[in-house]
Amino acid sequence: MAIQVRIPSVLRRQTNGEDMVLLDGVTLGEVLDGLEARYEGLRGKLRGPQGEIRRFVNIYINDEDIRLLSGPTTPVADGDEVTIIPAVAGG
Amino acid sequence: MTSDDTRRERSTPPAAAADIPARYSRQVLFEGLGAEGQARLIAARAVLVGCGALGTVQASLLARAGVGTLRIIDRDFVEESNLQRQILFDEQDVRDVLPKAVAAERKLRAVNSLVQVEGVVDDLNPSTIGRLLDGFDLILDATDNFDARFLINDYAVKNGVPWVYGACVGSYGLTFPVLPGETACLRCVFESAPPAGLSPSCDTAGVLGPIVGIIASLQCAEAIKILAGRRQAITRKMQVIDIWEGRQDLIDLPPRDPQCPCCGRGVYEYLQGAAGSDSVRLCGRDSVQINRRDGAKLDLAEVARRLGPLAKVEVNRFLLRADIDAYRLTVFADGRAIIGGTTDASVARSLYARYIGT
Repeated sequence: MAIQVRIPSVLRRQTNGEDMVLLDGVTLGEVLDGLEARYEGLRGKLRGPQGEIRRFVNIYINDEDIRLLSGPTTPVADGDEVTIIPAVAGG
Repeated sequence: MTSDDTRRERSTPPAAAADIPARYSRQVLFEGLGAEGQARLIAARAVLVGCGALGTVQASLLARAGVGTLRIIDRDFVEESNLQRQILFDEQDVRDVLPKAVAAERKLRAVNSLVQVEGVVDDLNPSTIGRLLDGFDLILDATDNFDARFLINDYAVKNGVPWVYGACVGSYGLTFPVLPGETACLRCVFESAPPAGLSPSCDTAGVLGPIVGIIASLQCAEAIKILAGRRQAITRKMQVIDIWEGRQDLIDLPPRDPQCPCCGRGVYEYLQGAAGSDSVRLCGRDSVQINRRDGAKLDLAEVARRLGPLAKVEVNRFLLRADIDAYRLTVFADGRAIIGGTTDASVARSLYARYIGT
């Protein structure tokens, strides 16, 4: 078991097409550290320079908005699903 | 009596079923709407900002549904690459180089002569927004860039007008309604736009017709509920769909954020022109300069990679130059750009939104 991170299709160029990444970590921040270490192209797209979640991206842990939890310090557990919802501009 | 009922009685005279044109019979039969709901649609006024992929679907559905007054605002012309998904247009519109708002108005008049359709060829910006949006019951988002959406959000929250956000790219799209004073506004959900160049656009990452049709249809479903006064039926959630993977998510919207610059603190940065982009016509140069007020750092290599398949692109440490059709885009690392080949600020902003982003 690990934490499942679902990659939205608009960010998959940065993950070589992977739509689901399994990662370990105790907090969401650690999971994102692992994600960025594996896929350098994601660096800067989800978090700002201070590690803060960028304001044009929403992240959910099991459908709970992490801004209503504890942001990057929110604890995660095996089997949790992390969903990334970026704002998009097309139309 | 609920507040919905009160509002209904106040704003619309009760209509007898016999007064409703027969063409709406299938909609009147639908229990949630009925003759009274249809009468409200006939009396309603909606404005569509943008008439591209989302806008053509919305305009078609709402004109057919009998929304009495529709204004359609768009600054662009019909191009061949639009036809794959922009369902109101055809090859003749491309040959005639018709403005989208004009082509849409013509088609919709033929669809439903009972509705008042007004196509407006104009650019939505802080100085035009009051003139373009005042007096409508609902605003539908059919734009292709974040600046326009945040501008609509400022206007809608300030004036208490509901609007429905919708956007898509690739096979992915999302939508939610904004009911000022009741639900989270766009800035409560996505406080800021991605920096220029960080978000893919339909012109750089492509888009499939079906996702546009789905998102625009979901927006119209909310529009019909809002305009018919069926507020209890409104989906107060974010709907997120990816048709390539067959995934649909219904996500709770956050509560309204008291610290939200727009709906919490009442600071309308986009309406005031303090955020977003600014354009300046460059004298004697057949060029327009676009400045970014957010001072975003642009990843020129990333933009170059994205534009590679579409244009002749040169890039160095300081700037990127791309020749696309008759235009030359020169983009600097601070997000500033000079769009050559036009003196029209709205054309330049459109090109920037399509190829650089935001």
